[in-house]
Amino acid sequence: MLPATLDDLKVLDLSQGLAGPVCAKILADFGADVVKVEPLKGDAARNMAPFFGNAPHPEKSLVYSLANLNKRGVKVNFEDAEGRALIRQMAQKADIIIESYKPGYLASLGLDYESLARDNPRLIMVSITPFGQTGPYKDFKNEEIITYALSGIMSISGLAEREPLKHGGMQSQYEGGLAGAVGTLAAIHARDMLGEGQQVDISLQDVITSTLVIHQPMYGWVGAVQGRRRPSGSNYGQVQECKDGYFIWQTGGGAEWSDIIEFFGSEQLKEERFATVAGRALHGIDLDRIVLDATKDRTMQELFNTASEKYHMLFGIVQEPQDLARCPHLEAREYFQEVDHPVMGRIKVPYRLWSMPDAPAVYRRSAPLLGQHNAEVFGEMLGLDSDRMSALAAKGVI
Amino acid sequence: MIRLSKKPLEGIRVIDSSYVFAGPYATGLLGDLGAEVIKVEGPTRPDFTRGGAFSGLLPENEPKDDPWNRMSAYNLVNRGKKSLVLDLTRKEGRDVFVDLLKKSDVLVENFTPRVMRGWGLDYPNLKKLNPGIIMVSNTGYGRGGPYSAYPAQATTQEATHGLAAVTGYAGGEPSKAGQSYVDFLAAWTICMAAMIGLRYRRRFGSGLWADIGMYQLGCYNVSEFVMDNIANGAKGERIGNRHRQYAPQGTYRCAGKDAWCALSVRDDDEWRALAGVIGKPELASDSRYATEAARRTNHDAIDALITQWTSNLSKIEAMERLQQAGVPAGAVLDGRDLHFNPQLKERGLIEKVAFPPERDMGPARPLIGRPWNFSKIPLSIKGPAPAYGQHNAEVLRDVLGYDEARIAALRAEKLVVDGKPVKPREFPMMSMDKRVEIGRLAYWEPDYREKLGIL
Repeated sequence: MLPATLDDLKVLDLSQGLAGPVCAKILADFGADVVKVEPLKGDAARNMAPFFGNAPHPEKSLVYSLANLNKRGVKVNFEDAEGRALIRQMAQKADIIIESYKPGYLASLGLDYESLARDNPRLIMVSITPFGQTGPYKDFKNEEIITYALSGIMSISGLAEREPLKHGGMQSQYEGGLAGAVGTLAAIHARDMLGEGQQVDISLQDVITSTLVIHQPMYGWVGAVQGRRRPSGSNYGQVQECKDGYFIWQTGGGAEWSDIIEFFGSEQLKEERFATVAGRALHGIDLDRIVLDATKDRTMQELFNTASEKYHMLFGIVQEPQDLARCPHLEAREYFQEVDHPVMGRIKVPYRLWSMPDAPAVYRRSAPLLGQHNAEVFGEMLGLDSDRMSALAAKGVI
Repeated sequence: MIRLSKKPLEGIRVIDSSYVFAGPYATGLLGDLGAEVIKVEGPTRPDFTRGGAFSGLLPENEPKDDPWNRMSAYNLVNRGKKSLVLDLTRKEGRDVFVDLLKKSDVLVENFTPRVMRGWGLDYPNLKKLNPGIIMVSNTGYGRGGPYSAYPAQATTQEATHGLAAVTGYAGGEPSKAGQSYVDFLAAWTICMAAMIGLRYRRRFGSGLWADIGMYQLGCYNVSEFVMDNIANGAKGERIGNRHRQYAPQGTYRCAGKDAWCALSVRDDDEWRALAGVIGKPELASDSRYATEAARRTNHDAIDALITQWTSNLSKIEAMERLQQAGVPAGAVLDGRDLHFNPQLKERGLIEKVAFPPERDMGPARPLIGRPWNFSKIPLSIKGPAPAYGQHNAEVLRDVLGYDEARIAALRAEKLVVDGKPVKPREFPMMSMDKRVEIGRLAYWEPDYREKLGIL
């Protein structure tokens, strides 16, 4: 058994949805003992589509099963004094709490950092919320598109003559999970060195704005503001259609222009006017027509493999979800994890973010059912016996 | 408030031999967290962000004598580093690099797999030179697997890793994210891998190798679509700004040039609130809109009603009135707005980084800091990005302990180069008005320094 880097850490995951849970999942992947603490009605992600078999069911949310792999799960009534006492007791034995409640909610229950750290000064609490714990927007209602609008990224996405365009899915949530794990690890380092825990406050708006490294400084450098793409009449540098889908190609990489001409196999590309970047931009419409004609009978996968392997071109293909689900490269990289889930059965779940042969992410268990590990966790962590647990369950505390 | 006496990564030395955004941004952030970061570039191979398409713009759009030190994106991601210019294509240059790696804790690199192997600096070899080093390799597809050797960069990857397929106007073509999207997923991941590696070394005594393929990171961020396909055979779809379930959702045109406010209505209560705020409370009980399913069906009609209301308000006013009524709403901020937004301001996300007079960059420039606020470690960007080769002597003397004669010999052999790249990257000069005219920019404000207070 390889050593697991975080196997000395106990984490309480009080977070819901996707960002906080992904952060806690990453800690679990590298060995942390993560206990998901859900309110009685469960994490909101349990009600999020898509569902296994398309039927809404609290144990069939695919997002929940993705973001909570490798965790044990308990359910506790946060609104009940005895429930809060249990959470406080668990917090005394924990190294890290990850949470995503509205700012002020945990404080209203006496479960804020100050209160919990009084008995456990080594405790780290990481809050991952749409706008963070401070500032005039901290209580704003949020949804993915709102984070996207207020982070600035939407102003440069889409076409100039149309409305700003959100990226597909829930990008700010995944990014919040990744960035959140960075903040958590930094706080773990600080604690390892100096012995003290602290609060880490992460705002998804800040996270997404942080990705605008080309866009943001243009203003402070010369007062410039980028907008959305104007139609140039040409698709060069954008996606283009081939026989069975779309592809995108670029110059650069390991390919000379002569390689690219050979790859597309069109004599017309040898014309002098296409030989320079400026020329290709100027004659983009003609270039598109020639490239489209040269690729109309070729498949995406063949174009991708040939361009990349034989010509070392920068080349991409628009892969659909079904292409990723059976991608040979992802399989070879052991990206998917086969999971035996008690309700859904066997299912393949996206899992491995990166490879680290000496201390890899290790799969241990499927996402917990609601309250699945109540007996195990309350017994082992808090020393509750079965009579006590039955009594708490009867009162609706756990 | 109690403050800890040290930053988390103080005492850690990071070598950044990576280029463009992912690795350089990650190591810039590790620098913010306290690490000493030495950026290594080649005499004929300056970082791509020192010119060309990736580099952003020059202060006042003026190249002066050293445009390679002045580009905006370069200065953001490389903040607080030291710069060493060293010829890694020659054995004698690599010897210096090896000396440096022996004295370092982390190496972040994004060479193609065969380059490091060819130099005998792949992890099995590097580990022999420095058993404690944490090597973080970031490439398009990672080592191993059929696409491992495929050239890649963010623009082509965002199609391949599945984001483009689910991004786009309804009924339209797949759309690009358009800002090196996957590089930033990789930046966070590099930071994680480096810090997990450092903790692994602290606990178990040796370094390790992290093999990051950006493709996987991009794929992970469309997981719900992939799982829906695995579980249900579902196909991806492009639905613009709408939501599969919630309705209405979208961006609505407001008063002013290119002004928009986004909103999302997730239940009947929020619908009632929206109906009230736009002055049509009767819509709440109108059967065409009363349920979520009905609102999805009649989305276009709702959009027209909302736009009637938003088009007379500024985007900020629309947002504030919607939020006050309990409707999730957000103005679409642009690159200028980010600098004056009260929320980002209070969070301190954008910092003014001071430049010394000899850099002739003006007194200070605003740059994105970090999205984490630590209660006991007040962090800030340590200093500006370095000029090309600025710390050559300092690194060779203070870190490697080379004497003056050896340093002079390295310079004489052009193994170490000061000041100017042998082959500077080109930067297409164009007036600001021309950039706006051809659509590279939406607009520019000549009085931005006054507005920012950086005169």
